[in-house]
Amino acid sequence: MPTDDASLHQPTTDTITASKVPHKQAHQPVLHAEKLSKQVRSGERSLTILHDLSLSVAAGESVAILGKSGAGKSTLLGLLAGLDTPSDGELMLFGQSLSQMDEDGRAALRAGRVGFVFQNFQLLPTLSALENVLLPLELSPRAGETQTAAKWLERVGLGERTEHLPKQLSGGEQQRVAIARAFVTDPELVFADEPTGNLDPDTGAQIIDLLFTLNREAGTTLILVTHDHALARRCDRCLRLTNGQLVPFEPSAAVSGGGDE
Amino acid sequence: MSDINWRLAARSLKRDLRAADVRALFIALVLAVAASTMIAFFLDRLERGLERQAGQMLGGDLVLEQREPFSEELRTTLEQAGFTLSDQVDLVSMISRGERFQPASLKAVDDVYPHYGVSHVDRGNGVEQVASGPPPGEAWADPRLAQLIEIAIGDRVQVGQTELLISGIIEREADQSAGFGNFNPRLMLNTADLEATGLVQLGSRLEFELLAAGPPAALEQVQSLLAELRRDGVDVRDVRVDRPQLGNALQRAESYLGLAGLAAVLLAGVAVAMSTRRYVERHLDTAALLRCFGASQYQLVTIFTLQLLGLALMAAVIGALLGLIGQAVLLWLLTSFLPMTLPPPGIMPLWLGIFTALAVLVGFAGPTLLRIKRVSALKVLRRELDPLPPSALLVMGVASLVFGGLLWLYSGSFSLALALLIGGAALLGLLWMASTLLLNGLLKAVQRLSGGSEWGQAFRLGGRQLARRKQAGLGQLLAFSVTFFAMAMIVLVRGDLLTTWQDQLPENTPNYFAINIQPSERDAFEDAVAPRVETQSTLYPMVRGRISAINGQPPMDAVPPDARGDNSLRRELNLTWQSALPEGNQVVAGQWFSQSSEPKGWLSEVEATPQAASNVVPISVEDGLAGRLGLGLGDELTFSVGGDTITTRIESLRSLNWDSFNPNFFVIFPPGVLEAFGHSFITAFHLPEEEQGLIRQLVDDFPGVSLLNVDAILGQVREVLTQVTRAVELVLILVLMAGVSVLYAALTASRPVRAHESGLLRVFGAGSRMISRVQGAEYALLGFASGLMGAFLAEFATAALYLYWLDLTPRLHVGLWLVLPFGGALLIGIIGHALSYSLRRQAPAASLGLLGEA
Repeated sequence: MPTDDASLHQPTTDTITASKVPHKQAHQPVLHAEKLSKQVRSGERSLTILHDLSLSVAAGESVAILGKSGAGKSTLLGLLAGLDTPSDGELMLFGQSLSQMDEDGRAALRAGRVGFVFQNFQLLPTLSALENVLLPLELSPRAGETQTAAKWLERVGLGERTEHLPKQLSGGEQQRVAIARAFVTDPELVFADEPTGNLDPDTGAQIIDLLFTLNREAGTTLILVTHDHALARRCDRCLRLTNGQLVPFEPSAAVSGGGDE
Repeated sequence: MSDINWRLAARSLKRDLRAADVRALFIALVLAVAASTMIAFFLDRLERGLERQAGQMLGGDLVLEQREPFSEELRTTLEQAGFTLSDQVDLVSMISRGERFQPASLKAVDDVYPHYGVSHVDRGNGVEQVASGPPPGEAWADPRLAQLIEIAIGDRVQVGQTELLISGIIEREADQSAGFGNFNPRLMLNTADLEATGLVQLGSRLEFELLAAGPPAALEQVQSLLAELRRDGVDVRDVRVDRPQLGNALQRAESYLGLAGLAAVLLAGVAVAMSTRRYVERHLDTAALLRCFGASQYQLVTIFTLQLLGLALMAAVIGALLGLIGQAVLLWLLTSFLPMTLPPPGIMPLWLGIFTALAVLVGFAGPTLLRIKRVSALKVLRRELDPLPPSALLVMGVASLVFGGLLWLYSGSFSLALALLIGGAALLGLLWMASTLLLNGLLKAVQRLSGGSEWGQAFRLGGRQLARRKQAGLGQLLAFSVTFFAMAMIVLVRGDLLTTWQDQLPENTPNYFAINIQPSERDAFEDAVAPRVETQSTLYPMVRGRISAINGQPPMDAVPPDARGDNSLRRELNLTWQSALPEGNQVVAGQWFSQSSEPKGWLSEVEATPQAASNVVPISVEDGLAGRLGLGLGDELTFSVGGDTITTRIESLRSLNWDSFNPNFFVIFPPGVLEAFGHSFITAFHLPEEEQGLIRQLVDDFPGVSLLNVDAILGQVREVLTQVTRAVELVLILVLMAGVSVLYAALTASRPVRAHESGLLRVFGAGSRMISRVQGAEYALLGFASGLMGAFLAEFATAALYLYWLDLTPRLHVGLWLVLPFGGALLIGIIGHALSYSLRRQAPAASLGLLGEA
């Protein structure tokens, strides 16, 4: 069982092609992928999106995954979060092998332990801001903790707007609700998929600040998919998805937002 | 975990009530429940009310009749079963006052009489409603008797060996089962006086009647006893079997109401199916997100099922309340026909309503709902990842199964439900193919629309939009077709029912019967009546005869056990002879008497020589009687007529309309057989209002002739028909509403796609007018195709319905083929156009979803 260092700011050895992690660590990694492959059928031919991809993420670490559009970032995120199944390879989440579980088993594993922030916010239009934040709580053993939800809304600066419906909120405000929702269950792992993709640069920057502040305070592991180099640089570690594999990457300091590489 | 599901379900239901699809779903369910409970409540109460009315006509819920007094043992058994008993004795005897003698039909009643209803009696203070018979020592005479022997209140008449005081003139008896069989005027007396008259002796012709009143349960309890009594030759009249004659029209109305209720349920079901589709599509994102947060498939299904169940329950309660109000309105429309207070609404229909709502939900929404379960959590990342909609086959299969079950439940006939279902399924398959062809053809035709006129362009564009999502279009086309079909059918059937009813009782339906016209008076009577009346039936000769043997055996041994108490075996039948088949009669088996070449008419009738060459006489028998007695063609019946016996063979069976207010006969002989026996004539005619003086004249000129005025009965039947018609119309409105709910659901369901399209068109530079026309054109095309399809379906189905259920003759409805397609185009065009109004007002960015989560 490969383990990983839990240190925050020291990039661990990137398991790019090697399947073995060289040094021993005290803790299990939060997430460990080994030789993941994903093929999809597109018409008559089979398309390989991910090929022999391996990755290990330690608790408390923040990892940015960059890549061109179409490189398979979303597919990878879906696999890592257990939303999708790989064609081949092994994935461990919280030390449990996902391949041994069915859809419902994976869902149960996620409940309360994984948070999500999406590019298009994914707030339920018929629920108020507070209810949207409450939603993941209600699926966890901590159902009904309205106070907790309200507290998180306050922390993202929306304490006054708890009863607003998503459509009554601006894009930035909607994403704040989404962030509150991602953190409300005190998850061990948060996935963020292009969290600033639908926002203007200023709002985006505020959202990023908020995301990293909360992440640091909560000590949560963060896996962030983006094509924004500035955003990626704030993570402990940057990886780039090319040809179905992850390679270490040092984002250029000059490019900020909108850059593809 | 489960209370989480409850809470989530409750919360999202509360929020969801604002969504158009949930509203559509809700309305559809409410309508389904309202329609089914209203009709169930109503029919339930009507059924029980009619039973009570029938009981009144009959004199009790159960009437036994035989030639000897009833045993104590039987009385005890009946009383223990929960019946109240009343004794009655009928006999014919001569009564006299001074020099005047008159045979009268005596009816002796006890102190319990009558079980139900009241008699109309003039006891010297005008006509009153009296809920009893005459006290001992007194008697009531009917007006005819009073006139014949010139008696008035206070006079005394001799009845057998005793004298009775006439204390009232009885206009109408509480129990009116007598019919026309009884030509002697009535004298009602108390059973206590019977002994004193000395008329009750061994061998005298007495009918002992035991009238029993009790709850249905009691009736149920004694059924086996009744069967036994029937076998012993007791005439048993059961309120549920011996319905009043009005039953025919009402039964059809009941069938119709049941049918209309089902049509409303079917329509609501279609609306439910359509709105569920949209509901599920709208909630796929929610489901995916919940999945993402760790909800299990089971949890998802539970949450959405609970939500829909909550919706169904609310709809059921509101629907049932509406149903209760509706049935009250229905009853109010029928009040003057149903003078008695009806039993209060039962609880059963309420359960039926809730059950219907759930069944409709499960049947029409179930398979679609399962789609939510299959949603992938990955959809939160990749929006296009929608689970496939359930196969149309599955959706329709489950829906048909459930609807078939409801059909069975409501119609009570498994074979009918199965036939309708299989037919429906086959038809649906056919319909799908036909719709595809039709839609393709129509779209092609539209694309060929030449000219740069704006409407031409609108139709081309609208057609193309329709073509782009042909599958969805087809679904809607089918839904609209079924809707139009159901609506059309309800309207058509209603129209045809009414026409048939009106044809059945035209303005000039006979309102007088003249009985006991002697052969010597015949011509004079005819001359007196013919010029002054509008219609007159043939004068039928009438001979009284009794069936003395069937195929050489005593009748009691030859007929099925159940028929041993049949009146036709116990009483003399009215026989007639005719050379031609009477109007309104139809030969349903065998041959009418072979036509002779001589000219017909009464002359040839009279002069015809008896056909006694072979001594077996051919006769024609009414098929209902033949059915009851187990008789068929070729069976030999022996009649005893005035001391002679005539052997006959059944050569034909006739069906006839007993509600026609014309003289009708069970048995018809050919001319030349019965003429030698004592006979009189009977006829019926319609006397116009202004000729009422004729009656006075007839009574004076033909004192022996009995005139029966049936205006009152006729009026009552007409009244029933009018009221039933109104009830039918009320139900029709409900069906139409259900139809509109389908339109609403369908248009709601397709709204997002259309919003997107109109947004695109606008981006590309189309003006509001253009977009509005394109939308109107698209809906109109859809409506036209659906109307065509609906017309085809309706024509087909009404024909089948008439043949197998409602007993009407099928006919082609030309108007239908015009009204439905063009009306459909107009209706769908206008409604769709109106519902899209807000879409057209929207900025294109909003319709295209550029403003984020819409």
